[in-house]
Amino acid sequence: MKKKVIGLIDGQSGNIGSINKAIKDIIKGRPYRLKIIKGYFNYSSFDKIILPGQGAYATLMSNLKKLKIIKPLKEYLENNSSYLGICVGMQILSDWGYEDKITRGLGVISGDIKKFRNKKLIIPHMGWNTINLNNDDTIITNSFDKKDFYFVHSYIFQNIRKSNVLAFTRYGQKFPSIVKKGNIYGVQFHPEKSHKHGLNLIKNYILKS
Amino acid sequence: MLKTRIIPCLDVIKNKVVKGINFKNIRVMGNAVEMAKYYSLSGADELCMLDINASYQNRKTFIKTVESIAKVINIPLTVGGGVSDLSDITDLLNAGADKVSINSAAVKNPKLIRQASLKHGSQCIVVAIDGKRHKGKMRVVIKGGREITKKELINWAKKVQSLGAGEILMTSMDTDGVQNGFDSNMLKKVTCNVSIPVIASGGVGSLEHFYLGHLTRSTGLLAASVFHSRKYKIKTVKKYLSSKGVPVRL
Repeated sequence: MKKKVIGLIDGQSGNIGSINKAIKDIIKGRPYRLKIIKGYFNYSSFDKIILPGQGAYATLMSNLKKLKIIKPLKEYLENNSSYLGICVGMQILSDWGYEDKITRGLGVISGDIKKFRNKKLIIPHMGWNTINLNNDDTIITNSFDKKDFYFVHSYIFQNIRKSNVLAFTRYGQKFPSIVKKGNIYGVQFHPEKSHKHGLNLIKNYILKS
Repeated sequence: MLKTRIIPCLDVIKNKVVKGINFKNIRVMGNAVEMAKYYSLSGADELCMLDINASYQNRKTFIKTVESIAKVINIPLTVGGGVSDLSDITDLLNAGADKVSINSAAVKNPKLIRQASLKHGSQCIVVAIDGKRHKGKMRVVIKGGREITKKELINWAKKVQSLGAGEILMTSMDTDGVQNGFDSNMLKKVTCNVSIPVIASGGVGSLEHFYLGHLTRSTGLLAASVFHSRKYKIKTVKKYLSSKGVPVRL
C-alpha cells in the first residue's frame, strides 16, 4: 500500500516542534509519511498539508514568499486538497491581514483578519476557551463541541461568510475559531498545545480525511 | 469564556525541581521531567519552569531538561531564568519552549523586549517582574530580590507592554515563598495599568488565596509549593474556583 504523504510547512514562524511530534506519534505504525516543507514543493506529491504559524500575518506571508512556498501552496489549495492551518496558518487563508501593515493573504476563504474590536479586552486573548460548533463533520465531530482549546492571538477572522464558520468562540465578541471550505480547514487555537482534545483533533484530521 | 489559568511553576537547577524560601534554604522537590509530565496530565493549563541557578555549567543540563519536558507535555511551556540576550531566547524556543520569560536582562536593557518581540512575536515574550515595597514605593527588584532598582513598578509594567511584551509574570517579593496569599494590592495596581495578560505569582498557601488572586484580574495564577508538596491537586483548586463562579478548564 502506498503511504500517504503529510507535508508540514516550516514557515519560520514559531516552533514546529510540538506539532511535528504530535504528527509523528499519530502516524507511527500507520501508512503515512511526514515531510517537512521548507521551500518550493511539487503540490501534487502531498496528500495533506499542515501549516502552523505564530506571530504576525505579514511576517508569515513574507517568509512563505521568500521560501518560494506561496505559489505551490496556492496551486495545492486551488485543487481543494486537504489542508489544516493553525493560528496564523489559518489567518492567511483570508483575503487581507491588517496586523502591522495591510497584507494580501492567500484569498482562499473570503474575509479579513482584524483586531478584536473591544478596547477594554485583555489582549492577546491568551489561554483556554470554549469552541461552539455550528456544524459537525467527519473531522470536527460533535465530541469537540463546548470543549476548551488553547488560544493566543490578538486578531480574528472578520467579514467571513457564515457557511465557512464551523465553530465560534466568545471573547468580548463572537469570532470564528474553526473555519472550513471544502477540504480546507483552519483553526484559530493551537491544537498541539491543547492536551487531549487538541491531539484528537489532529488525529481526526490525519486519519479521517 | 476565557478560563483562568492554573500554572504550576518549577524552579529548576539542572534537572531537579527545588524550593527555597525567599531564594534561600534550597531543597530538592523532585525530578523536573517527571513532575512536568504529572502536572500536564493532571490538568495544569500551562507550565512555567525557571532556571534558578543559570551558571554556564548548569545551563547545558537545563536546556536538555527543557527539551525532555517539551517532548512529554502538550500544554504551553514558559521558560525563564538566566535569559540575557536574543540568542538565549532563540535557544530556549528551539529547545521547545512556547514562551520565554525575561527578567533582569530586560531591566538592564529594555530594548531586548522590543528586539525579542519583533523577532519572535509578542505572544512568546513574557516579562517577569519582581516587585517589592521600599521606602513607601513599589519598586522593581532584580537578582532574585537582592538588588532594588530605581524603577517604579507600575511605570515599568506599562513600559514593558509598550515595548511589546505579550504577558507579565508578576511576583511580589514581599509575599513570595511565605504562603500567606498573593499580593493583591500590588497585583491590582499592575492589572489596572496594563492591557496585556498578567500572571499572579508569589504567596499561595490556601484555596482561598487562588480565589483572591483571580479577583485581582490576573488571568493566570502561578503556584509552586502547594502543588509540589501535594497539599492540593490541580483538580482540587479548579473545583474550588469553579464553585466560586470562576471560569476554569475542568
